[in-house]
Amino acid sequence: MTAVIAASNLSKWYGNVLGLNDVSLEVEEGITGLLGPNGAGKSTFMKLITGQMKPNDGNVTVRGQKVWNNPGVFQGIGFCPEQDIFYEDVTGWEFLTGLLRFYGYARSEIRERAARALDIVDLTDDKDRLIRGYSRGMRQRIKFAQAIAHDAGILILDEPLSGLDPLGKRKLIKLIKDFKHQGRTILVSSHVLPEIEALTSRVVLIHQGKILAQGDIPFIRELIEAHPHQISVRSSDPRALAARFVGDGSIQKMTFAADGRTLVVETHKRDEFFGRLTGVVLEAGIAVDEISSPDDNLQAVFEYLVGE
Amino acid sequence: MATVREKGYSHWDGRLVERRLPWWPITRTGIQLSFRKKRFKVLFSGAFIPAFVFLVGLYISERLEDFKAFIQGSDRLLNIGPKYFSTYFTNDGLLFLIVLVLAYGAGGLIADDLKHNSLQLYFSRPLGKKDYLVGKMSVIAFFVLVFSAVPGLVLIVFKLVFAGSFKFFLQYPWLPLSVIGFSALLTVFLAFYVLLMSSLSKNSRYVFILIFGTYIFSNVLFGILQSIFKTPYMALFSVPANLQQAGAFVFGQKLPHAVPAVWSFAVLAAICGLSAVMLNRKIRSVEVIK
Repeated sequence: MTAVIAASNLSKWYGNVLGLNDVSLEVEEGITGLLGPNGAGKSTFMKLITGQMKPNDGNVTVRGQKVWNNPGVFQGIGFCPEQDIFYEDVTGWEFLTGLLRFYGYARSEIRERAARALDIVDLTDDKDRLIRGYSRGMRQRIKFAQAIAHDAGILILDEPLSGLDPLGKRKLIKLIKDFKHQGRTILVSSHVLPEIEALTSRVVLIHQGKILAQGDIPFIRELIEAHPHQISVRSSDPRALAARFVGDGSIQKMTFAADGRTLVVETHKRDEFFGRLTGVVLEAGIAVDEISSPDDNLQAVFEYLVGE
Repeated sequence: MATVREKGYSHWDGRLVERRLPWWPITRTGIQLSFRKKRFKVLFSGAFIPAFVFLVGLYISERLEDFKAFIQGSDRLLNIGPKYFSTYFTNDGLLFLIVLVLAYGAGGLIADDLKHNSLQLYFSRPLGKKDYLVGKMSVIAFFVLVFSAVPGLVLIVFKLVFAGSFKFFLQYPWLPLSVIGFSALLTVFLAFYVLLMSSLSKNSRYVFILIFGTYIFSNVLFGILQSIFKTPYMALFSVPANLQQAGAFVFGQKLPHAVPAVWSFAVLAAICGLSAVMLNRKIRSVEVIK
């Protein structure tokens, strides 16, 4: 398959700070997930491919055209930045129609497109409210709307799911998948593996400005499996819960969190543990308030890959 | 059973109109946002007062006999010619009001974009840096021209209407060119000046102080330095004095300070050059490292 976005030996420094180091990457049609912890270089990479920064070294092309100083190439790119980017004193409608004017559409076309994009992100009823009054989720959605309103063939989405409630996330994930089926190229960044996993099986791992690994989710999973998962279980009686797991072969380590209510378990066999946990909870009648597994121990994979 | 259709995104099959003025959305938004401020509307209206006063002067000048009792010896001032127009364009009041309008209405042009991280939105669209700056400058051009070229040309038209003849135009056929020429100079200088200040801070209030403060302070500095060094060349430190020198030159009038006009043009050009360099550096990229 031909690469839609191609970066070769791309480097970017911010003074003495290295943002991106000799990155070569080809992004093909479909969804590609850019996964890495905060400060890994995801946003820098996205800003370089959306032409907002000039690389210090290397080059980047989109559909074979250079990106830097080539505004024409952005006719076909939709970018959803991570940070808030709004004039607070404009309405959602004004925000969208104002940005659509850059594409040279007729007035009626602008209105039609803005209405369609607002409908897709479920903001039609709030279109005449000032952005100042929008919630975090609504801001995220209007930001997404501006990226899709001009019908771009390439979508660059920087942490698009952050700040959305579970329902909002599910809707957006479905929408992004729909775009994929329309033959678009979508690059999505996140620092949360399950979010990327819900979107695509094609993942690029980025850390400290370098691409550490590239492949499909099973490959990443295999890397993760080699490291213990950390699972926190908050319950009414964590000690009784722990007693049930002593001697369980799937557990590597158990500790109690400072709040006295949370049992922190490290295991190589996550699925096995969850299977056992359900049985234990039912048998012993222990009330479980919360189970969390932040980032699925992604940090451990990064540490392993960078040899720390 | 009716088909349940999912709400999805449909592909656009329309024809894309060629973009002729990519900077226009920036200009339009800039002007619209300025007029959202209630106080700005008052200030904007108030800045037409000098034009109105000079229009009244024009009317009276054509009917001196009727107003003899009121003007008592002031008829000298109402001798309508290039000097009258030069006075309109270079009087402290008008320049002060234009700078005030710009400081309040256009100070946030770049500062607000920096504050709201909007540059990344603009530059991920079919918009070049040049288009962005032209768009911002056009907002300033709008506000400057509406208080300079527009009233200047309207005054000429009214002079002809009040006089009922083209004698004035035949006498000074170059006057409209001077009006346009000085308005253009004022526009270019103030565009660079205001955008330079606007790019120096993310807070439009600080920018207001910078624009207005620099303008006033330069004139105060001129007064102080002149009293110390007793040389008219100190006028070159003053933004308004340089504009007045340039204005007097363009309208063919005696220069207000005994300094060759070319020096004032050079100072104004240098400020524009400095601004261009600074803007090129500031409107470069979005830094993600704080």
